[in-house]
Amino acid sequence: MSVLVLVEPGEELSLQALSLARDLGDPLHAFSIGTPDELGAYGVHTVHVAQDERLAAYAPAAWAACLDQLVDRISATAVVAAGTNRGNEVLSHLAARRDVPFAANCIAVGSDGSVTRVRWGGSLLEEARIHADLKLLSVAPHMVEASTVNGGTAVVESFKPALGDAEFVVRVVEHAETPSAGVSLAEAKVVVSGGRGVGSADGFGMLEELAGLLDAAVGCSRVVTMAGWRPHTDQVGQTGTKVAPDLYIACGISGATQHIAGCKGAKKILAINSDAEAPILASADYAVIGDLAEIVPAITAELRKAQSP
Amino acid sequence: MALGALALAALLAVSGTLFARRAKLLLDLVRLGKPVERFDDVPERVRNEAVIVLGQRKLLQRLVPGLIHAAIFWGFLVLFPTIVIAMIGAVSRDATLPWLGHQGWFALMVDAFAVLVLLGVIGAAAIRKIQRPARFEGSHLGEADLILALIAGIVTTLLLWHASRIALGLNEWPESWSPVSNALAGLFGDGGVTKVLERVFVWAHVLIILSFLAYLPHSKHLHIATAAFNVFFTRTRARGRLEPLRFDVPEEEMRFGAGTVPDLTWKQTLDTFSCTECGRCQDVCPAWATGKELSPKLLIMALRDQVFEEGPRLIRGEEGFEPSPLVPNAVTDNVVWDCVTCGACVRECPVSIEHVDHIIDLRRHLVMMDSSFPTESEQMLRDVERASNPWGKPQTERADWAAELGVRVLEPGDPAPEVLYWVGCAASFDERARTAAQSTAKLLKAAGVDFAILGPRESCTGDPARRMGNEYLFQAHAEQNVGTLNEAGVTKIVASCPHCFNTLGNEYSDFGGNYEVVHHTELLAELVRDGRLQPEADSRAITYHDSCYLARHNDVLADPRELVEAVGTPIEMERSGKRTFCCGAGGAHMWMEERGGLINEERAREAAETGAETLAVACPFCTVMLDDGVRARGDELRVVDVSTLLAESLDDQASDGASAQSAPPR
Repeated sequence: MSVLVLVEPGEELSLQALSLARDLGDPLHAFSIGTPDELGAYGVHTVHVAQDERLAAYAPAAWAACLDQLVDRISATAVVAAGTNRGNEVLSHLAARRDVPFAANCIAVGSDGSVTRVRWGGSLLEEARIHADLKLLSVAPHMVEASTVNGGTAVVESFKPALGDAEFVVRVVEHAETPSAGVSLAEAKVVVSGGRGVGSADGFGMLEELAGLLDAAVGCSRVVTMAGWRPHTDQVGQTGTKVAPDLYIACGISGATQHIAGCKGAKKILAINSDAEAPILASADYAVIGDLAEIVPAITAELRKAQSP
Repeated sequence: MALGALALAALLAVSGTLFARRAKLLLDLVRLGKPVERFDDVPERVRNEAVIVLGQRKLLQRLVPGLIHAAIFWGFLVLFPTIVIAMIGAVSRDATLPWLGHQGWFALMVDAFAVLVLLGVIGAAAIRKIQRPARFEGSHLGEADLILALIAGIVTTLLLWHASRIALGLNEWPESWSPVSNALAGLFGDGGVTKVLERVFVWAHVLIILSFLAYLPHSKHLHIATAAFNVFFTRTRARGRLEPLRFDVPEEEMRFGAGTVPDLTWKQTLDTFSCTECGRCQDVCPAWATGKELSPKLLIMALRDQVFEEGPRLIRGEEGFEPSPLVPNAVTDNVVWDCVTCGACVRECPVSIEHVDHIIDLRRHLVMMDSSFPTESEQMLRDVERASNPWGKPQTERADWAAELGVRVLEPGDPAPEVLYWVGCAASFDERARTAAQSTAKLLKAAGVDFAILGPRESCTGDPARRMGNEYLFQAHAEQNVGTLNEAGVTKIVASCPHCFNTLGNEYSDFGGNYEVVHHTELLAELVRDGRLQPEADSRAITYHDSCYLARHNDVLADPRELVEAVGTPIEMERSGKRTFCCGAGGAHMWMEERGGLINEERAREAAETGAETLAVACPFCTVMLDDGVRARGDELRVVDVSTLLAESLDDQASDGASAQSAPPR
């Protein structure tokens, strides 16, 4: 009843996957690349570490080939991965290689092959059963807690897979960082966003200043991109970036449905608008009614005062 | 005479063979197309033929060019027998068609129509050479000139032939009946020169006609041969309806739109052969007008080029030949995605080409086979799929707009209301569009209409997904909604959104949903006519913007105007009624970024130029788009739904009445 888990180096979601995999049976084996973290605390009996530097920068078919070979070596009955883009891709390859089904985004498993998995973007939980001698499943991100057990230290075994060129058809050839100054919009904890009310491309200067003090990203509404004041990459909304910051400051944004669809994930929305009837107020937690050209610099000034020792 | 007969026979054989061979190729190319049902509804097709071809109705939508074309077209119908008469005359100087060749009235008609055709040719040449309208940009102008020259040649030689015969006293008809030929006869003597000229004219006439016959199907102007067929086979069902794809057929028969030439339906191939490159479609296209890549004319021309390039190889079954993708080979992605499906091109086209169907089929293939579409629209498709509305709002909030209005929400098992109010996603969730739903609900209550809404059980009709080309997602929603409506026993629906209105009324019948569907402006106008709502008109100027899916696709023009007239003073924009100009949101463009100039600002400009203070609309998407356009331009125009204007008018009266009553007695 050995269970094999793909552990991506430095990936916290893989620890969640290990925690769920313990419910499938034991002993628990892990497959990893490079120097593995200490996994004994997560119930891992043996860590198989691949010795092939071509694997290090990700190669989905080759990773799947490694798992394929390990399954035979340890007679595994299940293979588990984190439901990351990589985890799902590697297991898809493995499913194709072994011609078995693959259940993605599971949140609970039984040793009999029953699984509960997340469907339709989280709006539906499906009870299913995997009918196969080798069960493949990935674990939905952040749905299972990464928990430790009282275990010993995991045995680390080096593993030399047999890999041909065909396995490296898909491989990483270059790693390019997105050229972005400052904080990325999608991940920022605070977003300072501007709409038509900002008035001009120059008007965004005061928003940038405020964003700098708050370690925030600058966003904008569709109107602003249409007018050419900001690039489309800054656009928050249905047809732009969806953001989920702790605080979203909407300056001079009327709050068209298309915009709200992009910022409704914010924990708190602060609207600064001259129009007390603006639709954004229906979605805002806090609102300041007035001229943003006065209010924004005032906030900036207060912040500076507070930040200076 | 024997020599002449031989020569004519040889010429006829050459010209006829050239024509027939080309005609066979064209027919084979059309037959290469995928099946589509266009042999039903024959009476309607015959009627179209009479009105659009014989009556030249669509051409006459533009009066001057229309009359010019009609003169040439009708002229050729009348002059048709003269071809036979001239051929007989060429073979034998002293013979003519029995009976008809002797008729004075026919000679008069020939004279009159020959002159009309000549005037038509001169007019057409003047338009092309002097006026040079922008609609010809990208058309093959040289070939059109050649065709005009040939037509001029045909009628000129005909008149001169008749004149020379009169001069020689050879006319079989009384010359007093042909005033033009008779006058021209004065140019000729009755000697040997005229005898020779008479032969020259008749043979020149016959030669030009036969060259024309051989050349025509090879030219870009083969519409003369195909247009009548194209009109006959045009859609006869609702204009707003798209042909559904079948997913319940064996895989090899399944069609996912048009990816390559053999994916086109035979009607689509015939469309490409029928294009005259007149550019009327381009002239009215909102995408082209705002500087985008799409021109409906250039689209059809590009498809035709690819049909001619690859079709013959497909017919031959060339080994190893794979047809190339239409996108990007014939047209770019931008061309396909620029379209707002407003249908202005289709309405304008004199030969009934169905441009929107081409666009949708190209989109279907891109979306369903290649998964290639504007990335910014992906979220909308996902939200429609998961959340049943295009903004991903929780369905539980769908009826929130009605919370304080006491609107009945139809629960499973409840008795069906007289009218089901289908609110639509925009009016349910969009802050600006909600007002219209609230006004409509208030008005229906005030008039005592028995109505209810579905609340959280109402789902997106699937229209934006369908217009994006995601037919699969659309059909899933259509089936679900039809299930809900049928189970609830709904028979009559009033819809706020013209897109829902079109889908419910024209498209759901393909999925087992048959209801009487009206738009809220239609129902409200009926209530005003019946005196159940009594608004009062004031003097403020209101200009009404027709939604494409109301006016052009569904003929709803009069009712919203009645309502505008009932509350204010209407003032029309230049492009109104069925000639309306899109707001820019159609064809799922509400969820795409616009490239190039902005359609909504162009329309807002037109509205502002009327001097009206209110821009009345009847569609939640027009509301949002035009409101944005007006704000961007900084115009002093209030964009508001007709239903809200009506509700305000009644509110004003009520408050006037209330204050009058509560006023203290003097």
